Formats: sequence, structure tokens, C-alpha cells
Amino acid sequence: MTAGFPRASPRTGVRATPPSYPPATVDRMSTEEKPAAPRSLAEALRARDDASLAALLRSRPDLITPVPTDLTQLATRAGTRASVVRALERLDRFTLQTAEALAVAADPATYDELLGLLAGDEGDPAVAGALPRALAALREQALVWGGDDRLRLVRTARELLAPSAQHPSPTGLGPTVQEATAGMSPGRIQEILTDVGLPSTHDSVSAVAALGALFTDRTRMAALLADLPEESRQVLSRLVWGPPYGQVTHDPAPHLRRLLDRGLLLPTAPGTVVLPREVALHLRGGRAHRAPEPVPPPVETAATHRPQMVDATAAGQALAALGTVEELLKDWDEGGPAVLRAGGLSMRDLKRTAVALDVPEPVAAFWVELAYAAGLLASDGEADERYAATPEYDEWRELPAAERWVRLAEAWLLATRTPGLVGGRDAKDRTLSALGPNLDRSAAPEVRHRVLALLAGLPEGAAPVEDSVLARLRWERPQRREDDLRTRLARWTLSEAELLGVTGRGALSAPGRALIGAPEARHPDEGEPSGPGDKLPVHHRVPHAPASLSPAEQAAASATAARLLAPLLPEPLDHVLLQADLTAVAPGPLERPLADMLGVLADVESKGGATVYRFTPASVRRALDAGRSAADLHAFLAAHSRTPVPQPLAYLIDDVARRHGQLRVGAASAYVRCDDDAMLSEILADKRAAALGLRRLAPTVLAAQADPAALLEGLRAMGFAPAAESAAGDVLIARADAHRTPPRTAPEPVPDGPPVPDDTLLAAAIRAIRAGDLASTAPRKPAPGDDSPDANGELPRTGPAETLATMQAAVLTGEALWIGYVNAEGAASQRVVAPIRVEGGFVTAYDHTADEVRTYPLHRITGVAELADDSR
Amino acid sequence: MNGPLIVQSDKTLLLEVDHERADDCRRAIAPFAELERAPEHIHTYRVTPLGLWNARAAGHDAEQVVDALVQYSRYPVPHALLVDIAETMDRYGRLTLSKHPAHGLVLTTTDRPVLEEVLKSKRIAPLVGARIDPDTVAVHPSERGQIKQTLLKLGWPAEDLAGYVDGEAHPIELAEDGWALRPYQKQAVENFWHGGSGVVVLPCGAGKTLVGAGSMAQAKSTTLILVTNTVSARQWKHELVKRTSLTEDEIGEYSGTKKEIRPVTIATYQVLTTKRKGVYPHLELFDSRDWGLIVYDEVHLLPAPVFKFTADLQARRRLGLTATLVREDGRESDVFSLIGPKRFDAPWKEIEAQGYIAPADCVEVRVNLTDSERLAYATAETEEKYRFCATTDTKRKVTEAIVRRFAGQQVLVIGQYIDQLDELGEHLGAPVIKGETSNAQREKLFEAFRQGEISVLVVSKVANFSIDLPEATVAIQVSGTFGSRQEEAQRLGRVLRPKADGHQAHFYSVVARDTIDQDFAAHRQRFLAEQGYAYRIVDADELLAEGA
Repeated sequence: MTAGFPRASPRTGVRATPPSYPPATVDRMSTEEKPAAPRSLAEALRARDDASLAALLRSRPDLITPVPTDLTQLATRAGTRASVVRALERLDRFTLQTAEALAVAADPATYDELLGLLAGDEGDPAVAGALPRALAALREQALVWGGDDRLRLVRTARELLAPSAQHPSPTGLGPTVQEATAGMSPGRIQEILTDVGLPSTHDSVSAVAALGALFTDRTRMAALLADLPEESRQVLSRLVWGPPYGQVTHDPAPHLRRLLDRGLLLPTAPGTVVLPREVALHLRGGRAHRAPEPVPPPVETAATHRPQMVDATAAGQALAALGTVEELLKDWDEGGPAVLRAGGLSMRDLKRTAVALDVPEPVAAFWVELAYAAGLLASDGEADERYAATPEYDEWRELPAAERWVRLAEAWLLATRTPGLVGGRDAKDRTLSALGPNLDRSAAPEVRHRVLALLAGLPEGAAPVEDSVLARLRWERPQRREDDLRTRLARWTLSEAELLGVTGRGALSAPGRALIGAPEARHPDEGEPSGPGDKLPVHHRVPHAPASLSPAEQAAASATAARLLAPLLPEPLDHVLLQADLTAVAPGPLERPLADMLGVLADVESKGGATVYRFTPASVRRALDAGRSAADLHAFLAAHSRTPVPQPLAYLIDDVARRHGQLRVGAASAYVRCDDDAMLSEILADKRAAALGLRRLAPTVLAAQADPAALLEGLRAMGFAPAAESAAGDVLIARADAHRTPPRTAPEPVPDGPPVPDDTLLAAAIRAIRAGDLASTAPRKPAPGDDSPDANGELPRTGPAETLATMQAAVLTGEALWIGYVNAEGAASQRVVAPIRVEGGFVTAYDHTADEVRTYPLHRITGVAELADDSR
Repeated sequence: MNGPLIVQSDKTLLLEVDHERADDCRRAIAPFAELERAPEHIHTYRVTPLGLWNARAAGHDAEQVVDALVQYSRYPVPHALLVDIAETMDRYGRLTLSKHPAHGLVLTTTDRPVLEEVLKSKRIAPLVGARIDPDTVAVHPSERGQIKQTLLKLGWPAEDLAGYVDGEAHPIELAEDGWALRPYQKQAVENFWHGGSGVVVLPCGAGKTLVGAGSMAQAKSTTLILVTNTVSARQWKHELVKRTSLTEDEIGEYSGTKKEIRPVTIATYQVLTTKRKGVYPHLELFDSRDWGLIVYDEVHLLPAPVFKFTADLQARRRLGLTATLVREDGRESDVFSLIGPKRFDAPWKEIEAQGYIAPADCVEVRVNLTDSERLAYATAETEEKYRFCATTDTKRKVTEAIVRRFAGQQVLVIGQYIDQLDELGEHLGAPVIKGETSNAQREKLFEAFRQGEISVLVVSKVANFSIDLPEATVAIQVSGTFGSRQEEAQRLGRVLRPKADGHQAHFYSVVARDTIDQDFAAHRQRFLAEQGYAYRIVDADELLAEGA
């Protein structure tokens, strides 16, 4: 098979994958092909009919998002890495093995070569039988194209699957001789040829080809190997199933040297050798995989139960499921648990719920999530966010039991939320909480459906071995990653199905079967055999097609499930058994009105197939509070009890009823009290009293809805002479100066605009205005030594010494002076002041402008001038 | 799918008694389920780990249990419950205590991880010695009881196959002259003997003493009998002399007054648990002889210190006798691990149906407090309330009316409060037996009552236990120890002894309406109803009117 390597050239280096459709190669070889043989994937696709293209697009929906413009584009897209990876991930194990075998075969390979790689030299009928299907699946998905004589794996797939030093192949095979000798010196190749007894040739290409041919020739190879010492053969057998790489020292032992000399091990890097693919295949008897798995592992039967028993168990569990969900939501009726800030239910609330439901926490998480998925509970969206039942829950409660169950089961089947993850940690190491974020796993519905479909494939009443189901799922979709989510999902599916009553005792129930749209159960004597001979049905060409049904199909399937379940559920009963220990036992589910009424009249003590109620004084009082009379209760019990009502129970009801309402509580605003019954009767009889809302509580007491003042007024108007009474019963004397406040000050007026000024103020104001005016306009005496004409409006400027002297003189004379002043903000002003004293650098003066005594720092005074005499 | 049994998810089993297969079902579930309530239509059994282990100890396996449930269940049995039962039962017997020829007492396992698990426990470590091999560890012989108790708490009850010392032999034979052990008594003795140690549960009046005597006759060795009080001790002695080959001299009484140690010694719990200067001076009783059998009367009353002593007595055969495994203190598990699993159990009704105990008519009479009493009751201190309502004068009138009605029959009036009893005794002209009455006087009075010389006897709670008053046909309970259920059982037992003429027994409780007396009565009566004794409630006025 190595002889036909196209483009065998040292230039390809270690690269294992020649281009998958080099036109030159095709041209050269096309003469041998039928004229219609495609030369590229695009051509191959072009040759396919619509149905076949549809199948491709159905299995690889990513190819049409967006819709490609033509088939060339479709082919290109089908060859992109992301798309190919996605397609490969969805292959079942044998189809994947087929693709892997093709990746280590020549390109193109013939059908027989491929079969040889998968089945080995001896052949394997199972592989031979399964290969056409696997190949068809690969062709359909456009991973392989070309006729049986020229099978080609698309290049990207080949790159992904072919062994390389970085990505060891699942086959455990190493590079071909040609690839491994790519960097080798021609002299070394010659030595190997000589050593294995081949005629030497100077052409490296033909030398390598000759060596390859030798290694593929089983007879000559056997002879070559037989010649080896035992130790050498052991080395080979260690490498044969991979990994094919081994370490050697600089100076290998003789048995290793033999292998190296003959090219049975080829160096890849200093100190590393590899077992060439051809040699490994020879040692493996031609097989690419140690264990090809042409047939899916059968789902084994752990136990077979009577189908009736399975259905009954499942129905019992279905009923329990309904009860649990109702109990959960009833528990949350009066304020459910708070929503965490990050969303979801706190661990504490989950624990509390688990205790209330008497189940382990993971199971509690399941029920909570189930109710949520079914839309029966949600966050109320208030500021103080809590979980509560939705209005839909009330509608759901009104449905017949079978339909209620189907709603739950359908929600479970289709939900991507995965309660099994609750309590685990996400990638950021945060706890995943029930009802919280990050619980969606898109694979969940498909896995659930597939698991149930596998169960449906078993004979009726057969419970599977869990591990065989998991093994089957792993065959159908081999997982490369460590985190085997699908296996965990499958495990959860099995346990959840049991909780929900989709399965009973591990076997799929009839309603469960209907729910996934599976056909009626097959009987053990017909249909496909189970066990090792179990074959994939012919129609099973696309084992991993999305499993879900269309909404319409699902609706039909659900309706069927409900129809099948209904007769399995016990008929609601209309009676209970009453006992002298004050209990009532409902030996089955009760009709809703009866259950509701009993729920009020008695406390539930034990649940399950039956319900035990206990009557207590408190529970009977509750029923009386709810408006039932003792007679009602007696009639109710008599009507629904199969046996006479026990005397203690009847006595209890009468006893509680006797005391019930003995004390009456009401609201009144005032009362009328009178020792004379007749007068009260008179008041009551008076039409004018109607407005007062009077009611006779006792012969001598009337209660009124009107307040005391209105009552007094009203009674006086009717001609009575009532007196008011205090809380202690004293008569209140009505006085004229009835009501006074504590001492209060009158409010300050809040005028609109400023008040009108009085004369003093006016005078002061005017003075100030005038002073200001004066300051700016007063004629001043020219300062001594200042002979410049006085400039009006300018600040006077004098030296500090002169200013001080003038000030001191003015203090003595009492004269007013005109000063220039700069305030702390640097604003300059002119003032007329009469200095009173000067000390410590400050002048205290009467300021005519402000009409008050002020103090000025001397250093702020720019200058001083005497006022002209005429301005005084 | 139309069985008589409904399996509830809380592990209670509801058995419909009128169902045609009810009897078969009862027999099938009795080994592992405790009968909790037996009212008229539906009996409630409970499956507990202890019950399941009891069944394992009796040689039943999980498959039988599961089969019984599945076979008789009306609805499908929840799978989880079946799994749980199988798992629980599987825990028993993984560890066994046995005698090793070389190493003495050893703990062996069939499941190594279990042994590893329990050895890791801090509470086990001090009790065990060297590891003999991977599956065996030596146990200090003195810790045999302690380790069983601890292992049970850890959820891995050990099967005790270490055997018993024979004890000092002493010839004891049943003297079956004119009487014989009843079939169920024989069965009980046989089950006990076969199991080694354990508890026999029989209703009051069903002849537990004879089961004790029968077991002694099997053991034929020196026996220590622990009873609740002196009167009961005398009763035992009397009965043993009458029913066995033992003579007065062979039976010793070890009580507050006498300290005799004989081949058969009857000791009271009280004297054993007397503490002086921080030690129990009478403990040497256990070592004073090489006892071959220890009988515990009224196991459900076993005081806590006795458990402690019992832990050290694991090498001796132990027989527990009781009317109920229900302990008000919840130490059922200690009874299981220290005395032994339940070896025999027969419901009251069944024995009644066989005619061994008298059927009873239970009536609760509700009396009204007078207006002034009601006011006084309302203002009474909390701790005084019960006393107040329980001793209302109206009760006296009602009691007198009942006594009048049953004139000529043997009537017991039972009460809690001495004043009330004294007053009643005075009005009824009947002698009163109370705590201060001397034992001699008590026995004289009981004898007179038995002989029919006096027809009315007023007794305080001293009469609660173990006093055989075979001819009482009417018991009137005027006040009790709050809501104690086992007291109710004992008192009812007073009138349940089979009557010479086979006529019906009457059990009256006189209760003050709308008081805590009524609440306590409700608690006690629930117990009666659960035992299958239908009771009626009548108003005192009605009763007085009838009597008039």
C-alpha cells in the first residue's frame, strides 16, 4: 500500500498529510477512473442528489449558517477546521475509527485497503459488515468523498486524525517510512537498504519506496523479523500498540542497534526513535486499531420485571412526584425562600427544603429545578426578591393527574437546566446553586432523550445495567475531554427518570416510552435480538441526529403518555377511614374537594400511597374558623367515612364547637349603657338612630359605630339626655372652656417683600447715603506739600507718618477726616470718619458712612485728607 | 395489587385490618416493624433501623423483608425505601463480637472497610486492643457492652456471638400443677433462650412473671431479678414460690430494708441506684454471686445507672420484660445494645382475643368545674394548675356514682394526690394505700381485696407497677402523672387480668373539662386508642343522671 504514495518527496518533511486533492495527481490517475469520478469535494457534492445534500446539512447544520452561495463554498466550509472538528465529535466510535484508519492509509485509499486496516489481515466479519454503514455516514457528512477505489478523507480531518509527534493518534501508529526518513541522509538510507538485503539505489525516493515495500510485504517482513534476537522483538512489541516513540542512548545496546540498522526503528530526533507505521501494521496483523468496535456495545439487562409491575411502580412514583411538587410549592405559599443576589437558592434554603420534603439535598434540588423548568415556580421580581408559585401553577393544579405529570415529564425531558450540577463548582470555583445561573447544559435534552431511547430499545420491563448504558453512550459519542459531561448527564438521567416515574425499577414505563415518541414496546420474541449480536438497525444511519421531537410530535407523544398513565394512577377516592385515635386514613389519593376539606379539618401526619390525617382541637377549630358549623363537619365526616364516625371524634367536634366563638371580638367606636332595658329598646326602635350604627350587645349595652361625640349629639337630637363616660366609668362633665393648648407663641409673620422702614431707619439710611455721597464728592483741603490740584474721586494718598499725624490731630480736634481705605479683599473705598483714638497701629473712629464706630488698621489706609470747611 | 398494606414514604406501614389477608400480612411484617398504633381499622407499623436489626438478629434477611412488603403492598413500594431497607439490614452483622481461643474477646468483620471506619472513631479507640489480623481486633472484655453501645450509635450494630458464662448452677423447675405456661409464654421463653439475651414484650396482665420463671427454669442457674419496687419484689417472690420448685429460703430480697443474697435474688432498682458519697454501694451485688441469668422487669423504666452497670454484665444472659419498648426518655437503642434485641412481641389485642386478658370498656368522664373552681383554676400558678383541676370536688361525686353503679364488683380507685385519695377513701369508706402505708399493711389490704373482703380500694401511684390484683374489674382513674402513656398502660393493666367469670373490665378516667387535665387525658387516651381500646367520652351530668 505504500507503493502508491503520491508525491512522495523528501520536501514534504515530517508532514503526514499530503494535500488531499492535488489536481496533478488526480489528472495522472484519472485515466483509470470512471469519467464521472469527482476530482474534488465540491465536485463530489455537486454529484450528490438533493436528498443526500439534505442529509449532509441535517447532520451538519453549521454549514448553512449562513447559507453558502454555491457548492464550492459549501465544500470549503465543510473543510474548515471548526466544522470538521464538530462533525468528528459527533461520530460514533466505529465511524470515527474508520476515519482514523483512513487518516493513516494512503490518500486516496481503496475500500479494500481501508477494510484491511480495520479488520486486519485475518478479516473480521463484524467489521466487514459495519464498514459500509460507517463509510456511508462519513460520505454523507462530507468527511469522505470519492468512489470506493479512491476514498479520500477531507484534508482537515486528515490533519486532525493523522498521527504526528504533537498529536498522537488514537491508533497509536507512528509516521510512515517515507515521512520518518524525510530528513535522513541518503547514505544512511543506503546503509539500511544494504542491511536488510535490498539492492542499493542512489535515488533516495526509490530507496525509501523499496524499504516501504519490504515492510509491507508480510512474507519478507516475517523473515526479516524472525532473524532478530528475542530482545529486539520485545522492544518492537512494546512499541507496537503505541505510543510508537522510544528513547535510546547515544550508544544503543546491540539489540536496539539491530533494529536501528534495519530501519525497523527510525530516529526522529536525537535520542528518540519511532516505529514506522508499516512495521507496526505488520506486527499488528494489519490492524489500525487494537480493538475495532464495529458494533455498538449492547445495553445489558440487569433484571426483567413484569411490565405491569414496572408501570405500577412508575405510576406510584409519578404520583409521588406530583405530591412532592405540590408539597414544595405549598410550603412556599406563604413567602418562599429569598433569591440570592447572584441568583438562585441559598444552600441553607435548599437544605431546609430537603428537610421539609424529607429527601436528600440533590433530590430536593431536582424537584425545585423541575418545578422551575415546568414554569410552576419563579422569582416574584419584587424588590425583596423571593421564589413563589406562578399563576400557571394554579392552572396546573386543576389538571387531571396524568396531565399534570406529563407537564412535569415534558419539562424535564426538554430542559437544558441540569439539577445534577447543583452543589458543584463552576469554572470560577463558585458554588452552583439550585435555580441559579450556569446550570444550563445544551447536551442535556439530547442525552436524556437518547438514554430513554436506549431503554426503549430493551424488551418491556427490562432494567438496564447502568454501566452498559453509559458504555453505549460513549460508543455513540466518544468523548475526548476528561470531564465526561455526557456520562454524568446520562447517570443523572437514569436516577431522575426513576424519581419522576418515567422508569419504574429501572425499566422504562409505558408512559415513559410514549413520552419520547418511541413505538410501542417490542416483545422479546420479535424485533432485534439483544445481546452481543445486537446490531444497529439499518435506519440507524444518523445515530446522533438531534434527538428531540418537533413540538407537534412532542405534544402528540405527551398526549399518548398521559392517556397511558391515567389508568395506572389510582382512582381518587371519595372516602376515608375514621378511627378512634382521632385519625383518618385515606387509603389512596383523595378527590380534590375532599382532600382540601380534610386538609383544613385535620393535620396531615403521614404521606405516601395513603394519607394519614389527625384531628386535633386546633385543626377542628381551623375548620370552624373557615366557616363550617359543627353540623357541617358531622355531615361531612358521615358522608365520607366508610365506617361509623367514632364517638370520641364526634365528641371532639362538638366540644370544640361548643367553645368556638364563645368569646366574640368586634370593633365599636362607642357604646351606650343604660340600666333601663326599655330605654335602649326605644333607642334601637327609633329610625333616627340608624345613622349611629347601634347594635345591642346585651340587654343594657348598645355598641355604636359612630364616635362618642356624634353619638351624644345624635342621642340628644332624639330627645335623650346622655352623659359621656370616661374609660373608668366616671361621668365626664362638659365644660365651656373645654380645650386649651399648652402655652404657645404666636407665629412670626412672613411678609411679602421687605417691611416699611421706620423714621429712624430712614434717617440712618439717608445719612449713610449722604455720607457716601460726601465721601466721594467732598472737597478736601489740599494736603500739606501736595500742591497738585485735588482730583475728585480718587483716593487720598499720604505717607504713613503724615497719616498718623493727621489722625492724631483729628482725635484731639474731633474733626472728621476723609480717608481712603482698602479692605481685606483689596477693594478700595472712601470714607468720612471722626477718629476717636489711635493706638497699636489701629484707628478707632466714628464712620459717618456706616453710622457706627469702627476700627481700621492704619496700614490699610491709603491716605487721609481734612474735609473742606464748607462741607461741615 | 390489592394487598392490605400501604407503605408510606415516611417508612410507616398502614395495615388494613379488615382485609382478608391482613393476618398473613401482620405475621409477615411483625418481625421487622414495630406496631405503633392499633386502632380499629388501620394499624400503623413503623420500620426503624432498630426494628430491622431486631429482625436480622432473629434470623430474617433483607429479602424476606422486601418480599413481605412487596407481596402485601397495595401500591407499588417506593424503590428507594426497599433499597434503604436492604442497606440498613446489611449493616447488621458486618461486625461480630466473638470469643477467640487465643485472644479472648475479639471484634471481627466480614467487610474490612467497615472495621477501618469504626476503628477510626475516637469513641471506639479506647475500647479495643491490638489488631490481630486485618479483619480482627481484640476488644477489652470489660468493654463488651460499651463497644456494642458505641457501634450501634455509629450505625454498625455488632452481633454478639461471644456467648455467656453459665453461671453457678442451681436447680429450678416449673411446678406446673394445674396450670401450664400459655403457648405465647412458651414461645417467648423459647425465643429468648434461643437468642441468648433480649427483651420480651408482653402487655400488662399477660403473665410476664411466668416468662421470667420459665426462663429461669431453662437456665437452671442462679438468677438476679431487678424489679421496680419492694411490693413488686414481694410479688415476684410469691409468684416464684408458687410456680416453681424454688422455696422461700432460696429466694432473697435485696431492698432498702433487707439485704439477702440467695441463689435467686430480687433487687429493686432503687436500692441499686442509691448513691452514697458519690458511689453506688450496692453494686457488689452484681459480683456477689456468679449469676447465670439477670432478669430486668419493666425494662422501659430501667434507670440510666442500671444501663451503666449492665454494660459490664454482657457475659451474662439478660432477659428484659416489658409491656412497651417505648421509653419516655428515648433510650430504646440502649435497651437494644445492652440488654438485647426484641425476642418476642405480642400485641394486646391478640392476647385479649385469645382470652388471656380481659376485654376492657374504657370511658372518659368529663366533669365540669364549678364556677368558683374555674375562677380559682384560672388564677392558679402554672405548676399548681394540674393539681387544682385534677382534684376538683366534682370528681368525688362522679367517682361515688361509678362505685355505686358497680356495687358488688371489685373496684380500684387510682389517683396521684394523697389529699384527694384520703378524701375519696373517707367518702367511699374504703382503705387507702399510699406511699406511707407500710409494706405489711399494703399486702394485708391487697390480700383482703383479692379475697373480696373489701370491694373498694383507693391506691396512689404505688400501685402502678407489678402488683397483681386479679379480681379488680373496675378501675377509676381520678388523677395521673400528667400525660404519661406508660402509666396509662400500667393502670389499664390493673383491670385486664383475666376474670374468673370472664365479664368485661371497666376503665374510667375522670377528667376535668377545659383544663390541662383534659389535655393530659387526651394524650393518654390516644395511647389507649392506639392500642385498640375504643373509648367513649361521656359527660359527668349524663353519668350522674343515669346513676340517679
